[in-house]
Amino acid sequence: MFSIRRHEKLNAAQRRYLLRFFPAMGAYVAVLFGCTWLIRDLKPTGALLALLSVMPALPIVLVIVVMGAYLLEERDEFIRNRLVSAMVGGLGIMLAITSVWGFLENGGAVAHFPTFLTFPLWCGCFGLCQCVASLRDRVAGDAA
Amino acid sequence: MINRLRDLRGARGWSQQHLAEQLEVSRQSVNAIETGRYDPSLPLAFKIAELFGLAIEDIFVSPTREQ
Repeated sequence: MFSIRRHEKLNAAQRRYLLRFFPAMGAYVAVLFGCTWLIRDLKPTGALLALLSVMPALPIVLVIVVMGAYLLEERDEFIRNRLVSAMVGGLGIMLAITSVWGFLENGGAVAHFPTFLTFPLWCGCFGLCQCVASLRDRVAGDAA
Repeated sequence: MINRLRDLRGARGWSQQHLAEQLEVSRQSVNAIETGRYDPSLPLAFKIAELFGLAIEDIFVSPTREQ
C-alpha cells in the first residue's frame, strides 16, 4: 500500500496498518477455504447457503475499513496526499476497464466479469499508480 | 513552490533525515518540499518556519512573485 525505502522505518500509522491488514487477509483465506469446503460438502440451501456465501466478503470489507483507518491515521501529509492520489488514479483506471469490459460483455464479445473481482482489480490499479508515483519521486529526488 | 529549505538545512549541516525527524514527517516529505514537488500545508509551513526561527515568507516564495 505504501512504498518505503528499505533503510526508512515505518511510522506508527503504517505499523498499525500492517498489524491490522495481515490478520484480515489471513481471516479471508481461512474463511474462503472454510466456506467453500462447507458449501461443497454440506450442500446447504436457503439462509445457511446465503450466510456461507457472504462470509468471505466480510474480511474483504474489513480490509477496506483498515485501509480507510490508515488514511485517517497517517499524520504525514505528503504520504497521505500521494496515497489518495494513487487511490483516485486506481479508481479511474478501474472504472475505465470495467466500463469498456461492460460494453464488450453487453455485446457478447467477452465473458462475464464477476463483480467480486472489482476490489482486487482496484488494488492492482492502485498499486500500479503507487509504483509510478514512487518511481517518479525517486527519480526526481535523486536528480535534485 | 520555490523555497530556501535546502539552503537553510545545509547551512545548519542537517541531513534530510534529521530535518524530517525534527518536523515529524518522512524524509520523502522533506525531499518533495525541497524540490518543489509538494507544497506543505499551512500548519507544516508554520512548523518549518518556527524550526528555523523565520517567517514563512522568508522560506517560501509566494507563487505570485515567482513569475
